[in-house]
Amino acid sequence: MIAKPDPLIHPITRLSICGLLAAGADWVEFAALRDAAGISDSVLSKQSRVLEDAGYVEVRKGAVGRRPRTWFRLTAEGRQAVAGHLAWLAQLEEAVSASTRGRAAGEAPPGDRDQPRRVLPPLLGST
Amino acid sequence: MRDVASDPAALELLRVQRGRLADRMRLPWWYQSGTAILWALVFAGPFSSRYLPRGVPTWPILVAAVAVACLMQWGLAWATGIKLPFRNLRYRPGRPVGIAILVVFLAAGETEFLLIRHGLLAAAIAVAALGVAAEMACLQVALRVTRRELRGGGGAA
Repeated sequence: MIAKPDPLIHPITRLSICGLLAAGADWVEFAALRDAAGISDSVLSKQSRVLEDAGYVEVRKGAVGRRPRTWFRLTAEGRQAVAGHLAWLAQLEEAVSASTRGRAAGEAPPGDRDQPRRVLPPLLGST
Repeated sequence: MRDVASDPAALELLRVQRGRLADRMRLPWWYQSGTAILWALVFAGPFSSRYLPRGVPTWPILVAAVAVACLMQWGLAWATGIKLPFRNLRYRPGRPVGIAILVVFLAAGETEFLLIRHGLLAAAIAVAALGVAAEMACLQVALRVTRRELRGGGGAA
């Protein structure tokens, strides 16, 4: 698995949706996903449509009696993209915390606010 | 919309959200009761070979039990909003509890056969009850494994 950022998963709401779908469940229901992510119905509908159009998420609609139930799951492509993006984020987090530790230990002069920026560009994939 | 590149706590937020999803994974009372009844039926099997009149087919009970088990799985997904993939013994985190379920099933079943053959009916019933209790304990462990997986994202983050 290659750690690389995915611009589609980058926004925090889509990262939440994809990260929750990649947690180990096969299918997650609309209300469960909405409550866990802490977002509104409309935001989940809108963002899940974007992910569905990109082929990252599969949507299955059904009903139990009169109650409609919508289920989501990651496609194989989506699962791969999420894994890569989460690995990239973990690297980013590690780089930031290493940089903070370095500053706290006095490796960098106090007030060197540019240091994290020097660490981050290679991970962000752009300079 | 916030951008995660400026927020190193994005992964921490995701961990919290996964924790919320894992907390939804609770076993309703009917699921626990149903599972206990199904295991009781399984452990009643050795008694049927001796005490059921010959010629009475046991397969309708088996088919009904499988149908009830499938219905319960569907009901659990409906109640929790989470459908879990089918796991076998190749799934490493669930392997110990899977093996424990098999060992309890085989050990209790064989012990019951042995006790019934020696006419120790009360002891056989006690073993069956212990078997059901042990399988229910395994169910709780399996639930903990599932919750841990949902929380940790299977090592994804």
